[in-house]
Formats: sequence, C-alpha cells, structure tokens
Amino acid sequence: MIHDLAVVGGGVHGATVALFAARGGMDVTLLERGALCREASGVNAGTLTMQMTRVALIPYALRAHAMWASTRQWLGHEVGVVICDGLSLAFTEREEELLTYRAGKRREAGAPIELITGAQASAVEPGVSDTVRLAGYCRVDGFANAYLTGLAYRRALLDAGVALREYMPVIGVEREAGSFALQTPAGLVRARRIVLAGGVWLEPMLAWLGVHLPIKTLVNQLAVSERVAPVMRTVVGIANGLLSLKQYPHGTVVIGGGWQGLGDRERGGVELLPDRLIGNVRLACHAIPALRSARLARAWAGLEAETKDALPAVGPVPGVDGAYVCGSVHSGYTSGPYIARLLADHLLGREPELPLFPIDRLLSPGDAARGRA
Amino acid sequence: MTHDLIVLGAGPAGANAAMTASQAGLKVALLDEQDGAGGQVWRQPLPGLTGLPVSAEARSGDALRARIAASKVDLRFGRRIWSVGGGFRVDALGPQGNETVEAPSLIAATGAHERVVPFPGWTLPGVIGLAAATVLIKSQGVTPGRKVVVAGCGPLLVAVAAGILKLGGDVAGIVDLAGRRDWLAALPSLATQPRLLGRGLGWAVKIGAARVPLHFGHAVKAAQGEQALERIVIAPVGGDGAYASGAEMTFEADALCIGHGLVPGAEVTKLLRAEHRFDRLRGGFVPVLDAYGRTTVERLFACGDGAGLRGAIIAEQAGRLAGLTAAHDAGALPADRFAQIADPILAAISRARPFSDAMAGIMALRPAQVAAIAPETVVCRCEDVTRSEIDAAHEAGAHDLNQLKHFTRCGMGPCQGRMCGDVAAELLASKVGSRERAGYWTGRPPLRPVPFDALMGAFDYSDIPIPEPAPL
Amino acid sequence: MKRLVQDERPLVAIMVDGDSISARAGDSLATALALAGRLRLRASPNAGAPRGAFCHMGVCQECVLHVDGALRQACLTPVRAGMAVELRGVP
Repeated sequence: MIHDLAVVGGGVHGATVALFAARGGMDVTLLERGALCREASGVNAGTLTMQMTRVALIPYALRAHAMWASTRQWLGHEVGVVICDGLSLAFTEREEELLTYRAGKRREAGAPIELITGAQASAVEPGVSDTVRLAGYCRVDGFANAYLTGLAYRRALLDAGVALREYMPVIGVEREAGSFALQTPAGLVRARRIVLAGGVWLEPMLAWLGVHLPIKTLVNQLAVSERVAPVMRTVVGIANGLLSLKQYPHGTVVIGGGWQGLGDRERGGVELLPDRLIGNVRLACHAIPALRSARLARAWAGLEAETKDALPAVGPVPGVDGAYVCGSVHSGYTSGPYIARLLADHLLGREPELPLFPIDRLLSPGDAARGRA
Repeated sequence: MTHDLIVLGAGPAGANAAMTASQAGLKVALLDEQDGAGGQVWRQPLPGLTGLPVSAEARSGDALRARIAASKVDLRFGRRIWSVGGGFRVDALGPQGNETVEAPSLIAATGAHERVVPFPGWTLPGVIGLAAATVLIKSQGVTPGRKVVVAGCGPLLVAVAAGILKLGGDVAGIVDLAGRRDWLAALPSLATQPRLLGRGLGWAVKIGAARVPLHFGHAVKAAQGEQALERIVIAPVGGDGAYASGAEMTFEADALCIGHGLVPGAEVTKLLRAEHRFDRLRGGFVPVLDAYGRTTVERLFACGDGAGLRGAIIAEQAGRLAGLTAAHDAGALPADRFAQIADPILAAISRARPFSDAMAGIMALRPAQVAAIAPETVVCRCEDVTRSEIDAAHEAGAHDLNQLKHFTRCGMGPCQGRMCGDVAAELLASKVGSRERAGYWTGRPPLRPVPFDALMGAFDYSDIPIPEPAPL
Repeated sequence: MKRLVQDERPLVAIMVDGDSISARAGDSLATALALAGRLRLRASPNAGAPRGAFCHMGVCQECVLHVDGALRQACLTPVRAGMAVELRGVP
C-alpha cells in the first residue's frame, strides 16, 4: 500500500494539509507521535490578531482569519472562535513611536489597523487602563480555544477519509524508487510524497533527508485565571508584541505574549520562570486593572518554532523530489490553516493564491544541493 | 542560596524532616500554608477555642508544635507555595507578598488529600469529605449537622463517627463499603500496632454504646435535596464496591461525611519532573524513591503521605530519615554516623508496615466502584464535567488524562484536578488498559491558585522587565 | 452544622451579601457561614447547581468568595469583625 501523501506531524499545519489534500482526492495518511494538536497547536493562546502578526504574513493572516471565522464551513467543527475587536496599547512615549511605526507597516500590508487615542480605546474597551496613550485598533481580530483544535480536526480528518495514525512516531525515512518509506514502530508506511509538518521538530525531521535547517525552539509561557466576571471584551496586546490577553465566554482570562521559560525540543517545556510569569501578569493587570482581583489558576509552556529570519518554512525540500516542509510560522496558529491550505493546493497541482516560503533561503549552499539519493 | 535545605509541608513528615536536618547542622526553611505545624492529621485547633476535648492526636500535635518551636528551623507558616524550580527555588505568597527561598536540597512532604468516588447528589451543600469532617470536629469543635451520616471506607469512618459522639453530637448512621469480614481480615495486621488498634477499638465501643446504626457492605447511592442535603439513599455493595442486589434504604440526613481514601499530593515531585510510578496501595502515582527518600532528581527527597500513603507513624519516621539523608548527602553527616541513626529508623518503618499496609488497603480505590458511577454524575466539580462526557471524550479519541482535559475541561478548574483526577484516571484506565497508560496531570505552577494581586506586589510599569520586542 | 464545645471567643458582626451575621472572631469563614445556615455558596458553571464548602482544607475551591473585595477561600479565611463577604455570582 502506497499512499499518495503522508503528512508527518499532526498540528494545525499538518492536519490542514492532510485535510485539504484528502478532500482534493488524494489518498492521505497523517502520522503523529502523540495526539492531534497537542503541542503548540493545542496549548497556544489562540490569538487571531493582525497586531502581533509579522508584516510579511499579514496577507496570509487576513485570509486565515476568515477561515477561523468560518470553521463550520470548512472544518465542520467548532473551536470556540470569538471574532471581536483588538487593541494594541502604548503606555509610554517610546511605545507610542513603536506602535505608530508597527501599526503603519501592518496597515501598509493590508491589515485594517487605525491609531486611536486612549479615550477612544476606553470607549472600545471600558475595562482598559486609563494610562493608555495611544492604541492600535483593528476589527479583524479575535481568538479561538486552542485546546479544542485537536478534537475538531480529528473529526474532520476522519470524515475526510484520512488514514489517521496517532501515537505513531516516525523515526526515519527511507527513499525507495518513486516513494518514501516512513519508519515507525509498527513497520513501514509508504507514500509517493511526504510533508514534514513537525513544528520545532522540523530540524530533526529534515535531518532524516540529509537537510540541515536550524530551527530555534522558543519556550512560551502562558497563564490562565479561574473563571471570573466579565472584565474585558476585546483582544488586548501591547506595542512591542509581548502581551496577549483575552477573556473566554466561560470566564477565564488567558495571558500570553511570548515570555520565555526553560525547555527544549527533547524534553518539552520543563520549567516556568516565576519572575517572568509575574512580569507577564503585571503587564496584563496594568492593561486591564480589574484583572488584579482574579486568581492565577494554572500556567504552562508551549514550544514555538522559529527559523533564522523568523519567516515560515513552507514548500518543497530542495534536492528531495516529493518531499515538502510546512511549519515554523511565527504566530503559526493564526495563519496556519491558510498557509497549510496553500501547500495542499500546490500538492494538488493548483497554483497557490499567494507565494509559499521555500526554504532554500535558509539552507547553506551545500545543503540545498544535497539530498538522500 | 538562602538556606541549605527547604522542606515543604509541616505535617508529621515535614516537621520531623526539618528538625532532624537542622539538628545535623543544616540551615533549614520549613514552609506550610497553615498557621502552625501538624499538617492535617495533627491540625492545630483554632486559636482561642479552648473547650476542645483532649485526645492522643491532639497531644501528639501539641508535642510536635512545641518541638518545632524550640528548634533552629526557620519557620515560615502562612505561606502558599506556588512555584518550585530546579536547583531549588521556591516562591510562596506570605504575609508580606511573594517570598523566594533557595537551597540546594529540597524535601517534599506535602501530604495527601481526600478522595471521594462520585455519586448523584454528592455536590450538594451539606455533603463534605471525611477528612473535612475531622477538621471540623477536631480543630473547630463543630459537628457537621443534626442528622449526620458518616460513609465511605477506611479508618476515618470510625474516627469521624467517634469524634462527633465525643463532642456530644449524634451520628444517624455509618455506611461502610467494607464488610465486617474485611475488618476482621485486617485485624492481625492492625494488631501489630496495639496502641492504635486499641484506640480504634475504643472508638468502635463508643459507637456501639451509642447504638449508631451500622450498615456494612453498603454505599451511598444518592444524596438528595433542593438547595442542600435532605436525605440519602444507600444500597448494598459487593466486596469490590459495585452495587449488589438487595434493598435500598432512604434516610433523612442534613450532613453526609463521605470519603473513599486519600490521594497522595505528589505535585511538587511531578513539577520537578522526578520519575513516578503507579502504586494502587499507596494511593496513586507516587515518586520513585530509594529506601531513604531520595527521588530520581538529585537532592530532591520526598516523605510522608505526599510520597505515598503510609500513615502518620511511618510519616514521622520517613521524615526523620529524609532529613537525615539530606544532611548526609549535603556532607553534614559522616557515613557511619548516618548509618548509626538511620538503621533504627528503617527498622521502625519496617515494623509499622503491616498496620500501614492494612490501612492503605482498606482505603484503596476500588475500580468496580468507579465503574458503577452513573453517567449523569458530575465527576469534575469545578467544571461540571459528567461521567458520560468523560466516556464520550474517550470515544472521541482522548486516551490519556491530559488529552481528556483538553476535550472536556475536566481538571482545568481551580482545584487543579485534585478532586477529580484519581477517579477520572480510573475511568480512562478501564478503557485504555491501565493507570500507567492513562497517566497523570502534567505538573505545572501555580501549585495552588494564587491571587494576581498578591503575586504582583506593588510595581510601576517601568519595573516590568519587558523582553526585546517581537520581530516585525 | 453546630458548635458543641464551649466557645469564649468574641462574637463579631460580619456582612454577607448585605445581611449582618453574627460569628466568632477567628472562626473559619466557611464554618461561620454554615453555622449561620448559609450552606450554598455558589452555583456550578454548567448546571447552575447549588454548591458549598466540601473539603474544608483549601483544596476543592468550592468555598471561594469575595471577602473585602478580594477572592478568598472561606475555609482558609479567619472571621474578622466588619468583614464584608459577597457570594461570587459567577459560575
């Protein structure tokens, strides 16, 4: 049995590639060493904002936002998406400059961000601090409930006829004539083409193919309160991108922003640093003062992949015909479904609507030419 | 480093660990959330409440508190420990806000908490745990109600019932999962601790004299009432805890004290990523330990019920041993001196084992009892997740506890999965094959919910160490 | 719930959802509320079912209330004269 396509890695990227490839008529299998969407895709803050998205990715994030807003249509299952306004706040003069510059750049790239005064920000978000000097305001914003992602994709993948192999680690890849043989504890899984969608594990995955792509592992700390009475109605961030804050319909408030904990791709996120947790919480409570009287219920860490230029790794693997890579997108959850769908389009022989992100740029000349014959 | 050793938990294990290490010359910090030492089993009475009856346990607690006060241990009571990092750094909220202590060695003696196998109505106001009842009775001089039913399994049943009678209250009935035969079978092991057995028999006599209705081999099938408990329904159960054929009985009750054993609170060792193993007799997942209390993490030790249910006597001894071992490993105690003191302690632990194992066995979770939980019963109290939702989540692909959490929110509430975790894991285990496969909650801070306000302290915006801006 | 031992501690007045209640200074707030007949402390998030203190030792979080404006676990909070208690009203 040789599948048309094997996707290695069951996060949002891998699952979305598999989903659209299967719906396009390909025979697809997806292999995930754990459970679907349990790594970054299941533990991130769920923010769907343009105001923390890299300028180069704004066109992708806008289209992905539309996908997240309509999961019932293409995913078939809910992930608790709330579409609401977003604010990016500036509390100091320096932050005002930063915000003005960044919001401007993002607006140029197509994100409908306006700069508004502190008073206007209070009208949009009554719970916001009255020390806001300037705010970026965007109606194309919102959030999803990341931990619901796995359940939703699982159902969709099974409905689409994808051969789903959870708890099935891939430990290596052998090239055969016209196909790939993925080595798993349960034997070989063969496919004509493969997509490596392993997030922070893209580096060891590409090493199976003799390609050296350094991927930095960020260890992002997140925190959540217990359920509280409503304290905010928007998604809140700050100018430099290091806060994400939203309140879910069931009342919990999730605090993120990329403050770093301790960990690595071998062990995962193993320790949260209390001073950084407190720093993140202070930022959140400064922005939404009513949060102060809530309690921290839990904190956790998730791993995020980052390439050298912090832009995605999406496209064919140079020198390895039939192998593709999809991942390491900054704010990958936000843009993930759209970027992955572009790759699926490419695999189905269609011209992707927007350019992919070929990894040649990230490889040393020797790597780009090399590949396991 | 502020100290040589940090001990978390000032119950019989932790307090003894701290004192022993301190006597060996280490600079020790002892932290506990309560206002004094004693843990749960020897909890100190509310200040100013002088009319409480005297008991052997109260005397043990007072003696412990006197010894610890006279020691050189740096006592940090009223501290809510929320973060423990490698190396070791402990963050705790105290009267002055967040405090940090650091030491190269750490002993976790964090005790155990109640386990209740859910049944319809168990969440009604008026239904409390057995350990909860002992808090009310022993340290507050309060009886839970006018018509109190005491139910579940384990030694706390008799202790609570006798405790209420001793206060002058009434017990409307005792509903014991175990049969008379189970207690008789345990008798030889219990007899190895004659003093404790004598105490237990004294309770039994008191209960007999008061003519408290006894229902052996029965379980509470339902608790009923509008806004609070009004009545309970009991039904016969087999030796395995599953419902058996026979008549159900309904009683009026305004308080139900119920418990099905204890669960070790091994959160600190899980947070520090020590190796754990599942031990049904010891109450669940416990840290892998050597005979001296060393975990698989360098200079991290664990003792007392938090490391596996063994009861108060072994807790005291294991605490002394862990303190001694920490001192030895830190170079403060030469090997021969260490062996000299440690060997008698090991022998004492060995002697106490039959009693301890018998008690643990009576309290252990009965899989058949969990299997019998009715579908609409709430399992996760914080998030209102029912048994049928847990079953459905498994059908939908949740094969371990952390996955279950993502699918249902079970375990995401403020109790951090303490009340529901053992039962939820048992439900999953029956489908995935074993408790090992079902796993345990990933250890994360905070160890208890903490108010943001207290965590943050007073600060200016410019105090916040904001990292470099994210890439544009 | 009923106190069965002699209690010499001072009786103080606390406010609970606007009502004045008599309680012993230093008592566990959860116990004081139960002694005053207030067993129901919150509503469960999905079913809206009545809930009250369960473990009395700071673990179950059922007894979390607003005390003088801050969220506190009633079973870990000693009664003080003039304390203002509000039931949460939030699932």
